This record gives sequence, C-alpha cells and structure tokens, in this order.
Amino acid sequence: MNEPDLVDLIRELTSVMSVTGFTLRGTGRLYELIGDFFDEKSTDRMGNHLFVKRCGRENAPKILLDAHFDEIGMMVTSVKEGGFLTVTGIGGVDTRILQGSEVTVYGRSPDGEERRIYGVVGSTPPHLQKPGEADRNRDIKDLLIDTGLSADGLRRFAPPGTPVGFRPVFAELRNGIITGKGFDDKACGACIAAAVAGVRAEDLWGDVYFLFSNFEEDGASFGGAATGAFAIDPDVALAADVTFASSPDTKKRETCELGKGVTVTLSPMTDVRLSKLLMSLAAEKGIGVHPSVATRHTGTDAYVINKARAGIPTLDIGLPLRSMHTSAELASVSDCEALRDIVRLFITEPAFGKELENV
Amino acid sequence: MYKTAEFAPERPGRLLEGTELVRELSLAFGPSGSERAVTDLIAGQLYGTAERLSRDRAGNLFALYPSAAKNAPTVMICAHTDEVGFMIDDISSDGFLRFRSLGGMDPRVLCGRHVVFMGAGGPVRGVIGAKPVHLQSADERQKATKENDMYVDIGAASAEDAGRCVAVGDSGTFVSDFVLFGEGGGLMKCKALDDRLGCAAMIETLRRLVRGRRRPKANLVFAFTSREEIGNSGAVMAANRFLPDYGIVLETTAIADLPDVPENSRVADVGRGGVISIADRGTIYDAEFTRGALALAAKKGIPAQVKRYVSGGNDSRNIQRSGTGARDLVISAATRYLHSASCVASVADYASIRELLFAILTEYDFKRKEASGAGSVR
Repeated sequence: MNEPDLVDLIRELTSVMSVTGFTLRGTGRLYELIGDFFDEKSTDRMGNHLFVKRCGRENAPKILLDAHFDEIGMMVTSVKEGGFLTVTGIGGVDTRILQGSEVTVYGRSPDGEERRIYGVVGSTPPHLQKPGEADRNRDIKDLLIDTGLSADGLRRFAPPGTPVGFRPVFAELRNGIITGKGFDDKACGACIAAAVAGVRAEDLWGDVYFLFSNFEEDGASFGGAATGAFAIDPDVALAADVTFASSPDTKKRETCELGKGVTVTLSPMTDVRLSKLLMSLAAEKGIGVHPSVATRHTGTDAYVINKARAGIPTLDIGLPLRSMHTSAELASVSDCEALRDIVRLFITEPAFGKELENV
Repeated sequence: MYKTAEFAPERPGRLLEGTELVRELSLAFGPSGSERAVTDLIAGQLYGTAERLSRDRAGNLFALYPSAAKNAPTVMICAHTDEVGFMIDDISSDGFLRFRSLGGMDPRVLCGRHVVFMGAGGPVRGVIGAKPVHLQSADERQKATKENDMYVDIGAASAEDAGRCVAVGDSGTFVSDFVLFGEGGGLMKCKALDDRLGCAAMIETLRRLVRGRRRPKANLVFAFTSREEIGNSGAVMAANRFLPDYGIVLETTAIADLPDVPENSRVADVGRGGVISIADRGTIYDAEFTRGALALAAKKGIPAQVKRYVSGGNDSRNIQRSGTGARDLVISAATRYLHSASCVASVADYASIRELLFAILTEYDFKRKEASGAGSVR
C-alpha cells in the first residue's frame, strides 16, 4: 500500500462533515479516503468507525489506536422568514468566532435528498447595538444564519435538528504551518491512517484496530470511545488528540510549543511504563516528543478507554494545536509527521508487546 | 495641490461584466491607503472606454467624460476603492503580528478570520488567533476580545522570522471568496463589496454611455476615491479638484432586514433596489436632487427604496461641502454584515443601481450653480 501524502490527507479528511452525532453522514467519503489502508471496516450504533489491519498471526495482541472523528458544530433550532436559521452549538463551539463566518448546512429532505446549503453567520449593524454591547460576546442562540433561501425550502431541507458545520477552508502558512477547521481531531486521524498505511502487515506486532470515534466533543460522555473500546477489548490502547499550543493569550504551563513534536501524557490515567518507553524509543529515532501532565482528566478519549472493561493500558498522545475549536485551527506539518512516525513506531516495535507481559 | 498624471489604461485579459466584474473587484487587495491594485484593475476594465485616465498621489483615479455643450455643469460620480482592513503596528518576540483596524469594525467579527497582509515580497497569509475556549475563564467567555488583545498568526517562529516577510506598517485584509447563494443565486457574499459594488456600477455605466455614444449634457467626472473607510478621504481632494455642481455617491449601506427586527430599525431591504438616503449621520441630502432621482426611478420602473433610518455616512459629507457646495445624492446597495469578511448584497439590486445611475446621467436636468443660486446647496 502506498503511503498517502499527509498534508493532502489532512486537508481532505478535515473537510468531511462529522459534527458530533452526525458522524455516519461522512462514512462514504471516509472510506474513499482511508478505507483501502485497512483489511476491514465497519460502523456501529454509536456512530463510531472501526478500521482493522491484521498482522496475519493467530491470537495476536489487539492494539487499539483511537482518534475521534466527530467535530464541533451546530444544529438548527428554528427556521425564520426571509431565509434565516437559528442554531445551537454542538460541542464547545467558540462563539467568539462565529459572527461573519461561513457555514455549511447539511440539509436533507424527508425523502432523503441531500442538499448542502451555504450560509453566512450574520453580525449586528452598529445602529442596532446598545451602548457597551460590542464589549460583550453574543450568545449563540441570538445569532442568525443567512441562507437566502425561502423559508419553505428551509423547512423542507433544514428543519430543527439539521447539522451545521464550519465551511471547509484550508491554507498553508509559513514554516509548514497549516490552518483549517476540524483538525480537532481528524488531523490526528489522518496521521494514524497514514502511519498504518505505510506498514507491511508482517511488521506489526499485533492486529491494529483504528477506532475513529464519535461523541468526544460531547464532553459529558466520551461515549464513542467508551463503547468502542469495550467492544474491541484491546490489550493496549493509544489515543491521539490535539493539545493546546502556546499563543500570546495563553500561559506557558497550560500549553506546549508548536513545531517541536508531539506530547506524551504522564498521568495516573495513562500507563507510565509504556509512556516512558514510547518517549525513549521515539527520542532514539529522532522523533520530537515532550511530556505533558494531566492530573484529573486527560480531556481526551484516553480518559474513558483506560477504564474500559477491566482496565486497558493506555497511552495519550497530543498534537499541538493553536486556536482550538475555531474554523482556523493551526497545526505544524512537522508535528503531524512526528505523530504519524510515533504511531508507526508504536505498532511496529515489539518492545511494547513484551512490556505488556509485565505486571 | 496634488499633481495628477494622465495615463492610458492597459488592455486587460478580458473585460468583465455584472457579477464577474463585482467578483474581481471585490477580491482585489485594497485596504485604506493601499488601493493601487484596485485602481489598476479598474483602469484596465475601462480599456476601450476611457482613452485617458488620470491618477493623483492620494490614490484617486479619475475618468472624465466631458459634455459637448459649453458651460455645462459638472457632475462627480464617486465610489471608494478602499476596503476595511488592518495595519501591523507591532510584531511580538515570538512572531505574532499585532494590528490596528483600518476602518470601523465590530471586534466581534475578527476572531478566527483568515487574513492576508501585503509584505514587501508579496502576500502573507495568516489567521486572527483565538485563545482556546477550553482555557477561557467564565468571564472571558462573556466578553468580546478587544482588538488590542488580538494577534495574527502567520506561523512565524520569531520576530526575526516574521520580519523576513512582513513589517510594521504593512496592511492587510480579510481572505474571503466570492459566493453566489440563496434562491437562484440571487445573493452575493464577499469581502469588500463595500464599495467595489459602487466601483463596478460606475465602470459599467461609463461603458454604456460611451458605447451608446450618449454624449452627456453635463461634464461627468467618474472618481474612484481612496481612504473612505478611515474618514481621511480621497473624495475631499477629488471634489476640491473638480468643484462639481452635483455629487452622486455610489455606496453600500448597513441594513438589518433580519427576522424579529422591527420595521423602523431595518433601514432598508435586500432586493428592493438602490437605497436613496434622505439623511444619514454625515449628510442631509439635497432635497431637490433626491426627489428627482426617486421620481425618475418611479417613472422608469427601476426598483429603488428610501433609507428608513438615520445611520451610517459616506463621502457625500465631503462632496456636499466642497468648494461652494454641491447638490448631492447617494445610491447604496442594501448590504448585510457590512465591514466583515462576509458582506451580503443582492445581484438584482446591483442591476437596479446601474439602471438608476444611467437614467440619472442621461435624463436628469442638471443645472450649473449660477443658474440655481450660486453656492446654495438647498
């Protein structure tokens, strides 16, 4: 299997609509993009996608690789005369970035006809603003999406409950920095898929289960990873998700540096010996890797995977990202390559399998 | 006084019309003070229409279409070429660009937008960064981020690295494509529709006059003016240069034809024709000229609407008070979400505005100041 161009794969994968709870709308395109890298592919009732690549040996260990396919978005709450929609957020949408932004309404008629509707999130003209209003953030329920369509058409194709996503946009900036929407967490998913694509089956130390999960952005549940991990019952798991990269408005202690590689989470919830083994082997290979600390919650699928079944040895890897949960998230291509390389190291290095035999 | 230089426009790849012309003009880079790419594009689109164009050092571009009549009045038709944007005023040690707005923008439309700055070596893309929502305090989530606290992320590793492509004083604007959407593609969305729509209407009207060999009864000055968005407007200089008897400003105006907004706050409605203002925050318009324009629209069946709110302002304030005064009129495109990356206006309104401008220039009975009371504006 030829390895895909990583930046191309990130661009294409992040542009697929996968708003939390609506992940199965993107299955067709997802299969086109990464289906051929695996031996088996399936979906489940929780909206998860599972891709399996076999190593070819009987009773091989099961390696779970997890990234979440779902992304933050919005959902229609009402149709207004004049072609406007009101919405509510799904997942932690940063409402500060919505006014003046562009969205795609993923419409579908009662008889199943799909229609993508372009929309602009409106702003308030100055004459309607009360004094001091410009200092306050507007509540998402007060925003209007302007589609320019008839209200009748909208009631047919975009009734309440219809998912709305950021309009896909992608750009390459300076120094191999890329920006777009949905990097959280499909950029990590692209890195995992690329890592697996470049490996021969006989070089794997176990069967690889790539869980591209749902419901991560529904922060209360992490329900996709929890049920997915239960179903797979893996011997070991590695969850990859985005982590905060430093910017002028963040504190050094709560962030990491963009462009210096990936983070490995050290935490009571993650497996310390595997984490340290991964860090040392990665450093030997010249892969940029840095420790990160989580004491209460990893904020990622690792939080639920590690306590699935009777407990699963779990690693948590972070891809540094700036402006998280906006339509202009920023990541470094070199960090993405580091993530791809560290995932490949993890699934091909027999030392991890041997470490699992220790208690 | 600024000198002007005459020049002959260069032949463009293609002469564009309608929404294609609006599209190319709106995509051109032209924050206040950096209008050259826009005026070059306009000059090219006037190839074969205006044999001689002139420009001044303030960024204005003029196309003259004189009357054959002696002692004809002068009418200045004006649209501004600049758009709202940003200027870099500091580069942080870690390579982030701090900026000031060029023109008045609600800071709430800035976070998360894609932007482009014109560096010495060419365009540099970036995004206006946002502190992750997860790391914001409850208080921060309620408050709008102030322009002072915003930054542009171009992916630079350090101030030195950023300095290789941009510098303090470089200007930028939104990255935003041109989209036709809504019923029948009747709406257009882009940055800078304010006021490239006006520029496009002027280009197409001048072409139509010249092609139809319609020699005007008045001396027509088509002025494509700079720096409107920052108030220090090129239109002031243009009006003082030509001392027109009449000024017609082609503009966009911010409206609120949105659900749940009461009738008396909507200002105007998209799709109901050019907006003629009786008064705004900068100007009380010439009653006779305004009435005449509305009557002409009614007579010709051209959609037009009266602005129903005293808000906004434009270069009319400068033109009206130039010289000994000029009778003035503004025709605006009703535009939603003005001064954002996603301005929305109507294709049909654009056509109505062109028709009305053409009707006024060919049929309105323009008079010289002397004939109507020297210096009087009312």
